[in-house]
Amino acid sequence: MIGGGASLGRSSLWTYCALTLVFLCAPILIVVVVSFNASEFIQFPPRAWSLRWYRNYFSAREWVEPTLLSLRIAFVTMVLSTVLGTAAAIGLTRGRFRGRRMLEFFFVSPMVVPTIVLAIGLYLLFARFKLVGNPLALYLAHTVVAAPLVIVIVSAALKTTDSAIELAARSLGAGYFRAMWYVTLPAILPAVISGAAFAFLVSFDEVVLAIFLGGPTTTTLPKRMWESVRYEIDPTLTAISTLLVIIPIVILGGVEIVRRSFAAVTATVSRPADGTQ
Amino acid sequence: MTFPGAPVRPAPRRYWRTRQGLVLVAPLGFFLAVYLYPLTRLLGWSFFSPGFTLEHYAKLFREPAYLQAFRNTAEISIWVTGLSLVLGYPLAYLMTVVSRRVRTLLIVLVLVPFWTSVLVRTFAWMVILGKRGIINQVLVGWGVIDRPLALIYNMLGVQIGMVHVLLPFMVFPLLSVMARIDTTLVAAARSLGASPRQAFIRIFLPLSLPGVSAGCVLVFLLAVGFYITPALLGGEGQVTFTTLIELVVRDLLDWNFGASLGVFLLTVVGTLFVLFSTLLGLDRLTGDSRA
Repeated sequence: MIGGGASLGRSSLWTYCALTLVFLCAPILIVVVVSFNASEFIQFPPRAWSLRWYRNYFSAREWVEPTLLSLRIAFVTMVLSTVLGTAAAIGLTRGRFRGRRMLEFFFVSPMVVPTIVLAIGLYLLFARFKLVGNPLALYLAHTVVAAPLVIVIVSAALKTTDSAIELAARSLGAGYFRAMWYVTLPAILPAVISGAAFAFLVSFDEVVLAIFLGGPTTTTLPKRMWESVRYEIDPTLTAISTLLVIIPIVILGGVEIVRRSFAAVTATVSRPADGTQ
Repeated sequence: MTFPGAPVRPAPRRYWRTRQGLVLVAPLGFFLAVYLYPLTRLLGWSFFSPGFTLEHYAKLFREPAYLQAFRNTAEISIWVTGLSLVLGYPLAYLMTVVSRRVRTLLIVLVLVPFWTSVLVRTFAWMVILGKRGIINQVLVGWGVIDRPLALIYNMLGVQIGMVHVLLPFMVFPLLSVMARIDTTLVAAARSLGASPRQAFIRIFLPLSLPGVSAGCVLVFLLAVGFYITPALLGGEGQVTFTTLIELVVRDLLDWNFGASLGVFLLTVVGTLFVLFSTLLGLDRLTGDSRA
């Protein structure tokens, strides 16, 4: 409708945006392609193909161990952030008390606090309890940055869910927690799952807190990658990168499919935000 | 919201409220202990050693090298914000004028890089722009240049890497504002004789400005506190505030000074964040950022 007569304007807009999208997507595609390279050095396009860098990754203890550790930390972070974040979201959206806005502000502020500032603050705290290098430090630190995402996602779902259904359950004799568990939670379940998925990924990808709080013993996959990338470009990194590109797509894409089918079933209680996904 | 027949207890609403509050105890306790407390400890470290002193803050302004880091951060952040706007605005605009299917496709093309870890994306740029990277391989191979170009470990590398990471943070706030613009207004302007360009400049553009300011503040805010990309793609001339913090606490082991730098950075970011949320509402920032 806009610029309907200006087809030249429209085509130059398309060209410009296509270039921007190439800028966004090409680096990722290139790394994926390069990861199947057979040569010792990074070549593009590869002259010969192989899976050697994947074999290298899966057979090297120096890579497998950090990966397993990262998975463990991401899992614990996911559980912690989902429980705390969902509780906070329920309290913030259903509660009527003074300072609610301020509290909301406080809970989401870790999303914009520079991670390095949080990292040095937590380092000083954990150093006092001799927790630097202990995975517990990373469970806690990652939850600080992951829980706000859960809060945001679950709050958005709660705002579009009618709280009258909880009151109905309560008036029919359900206790508070019973009403929450059997009525509210099922209605917001897709958002909780989606929040959990994001929390997992945030932790799995997190570098800065891991560098500062991991110490010499607790080396997560991103920390190990960071150390490697600073000195030399090991082609194994391209294989790992490819896996790290695929994992979020699979997890978040899967969650999205679940959410859509859920939304189709219960179209009345759960409504997608505004089509941004 | 009123519910007839509900008041079976003497003060149901109050009862309701206290229980709601209970849910907040655990998350609040957690955030006070593991988030607010460490940040206030940082404040303590920056002002006391062991008596009260402003020495650690004075250091920042006395040493030209430190001031340079401050200037670098400002310069990089302004550039990155500007470039993100120049690239992001047309893209967000395009998303509002195409069909729903195409729009979804375009959003996915922005979301996939957005979901990919920053470390991986920064590494991708090293593979492409590095001394023995793909661009240099091609250019040298074709005989266009004799010696590889320095594309990273300088300002250019930092800018490219950071725009790549932060561009989606510009696109999504812009899109959320643009999608709500009533396009019949533009059609009305057209029917009253405005050219497409006039209708865009005088109707659409002013209505999209809240999105522009939201996106710019958000990108600037994130750019100022950004660490990974400047640390990996920057050279010695691109020491930013965040890489300076790392240097000070890890190499110089000067935690008091590091803490004061952290507090200073936090103050800058905090001010921007407050400005942002009072100016534009918190929902813009949180509602579209990742979900």
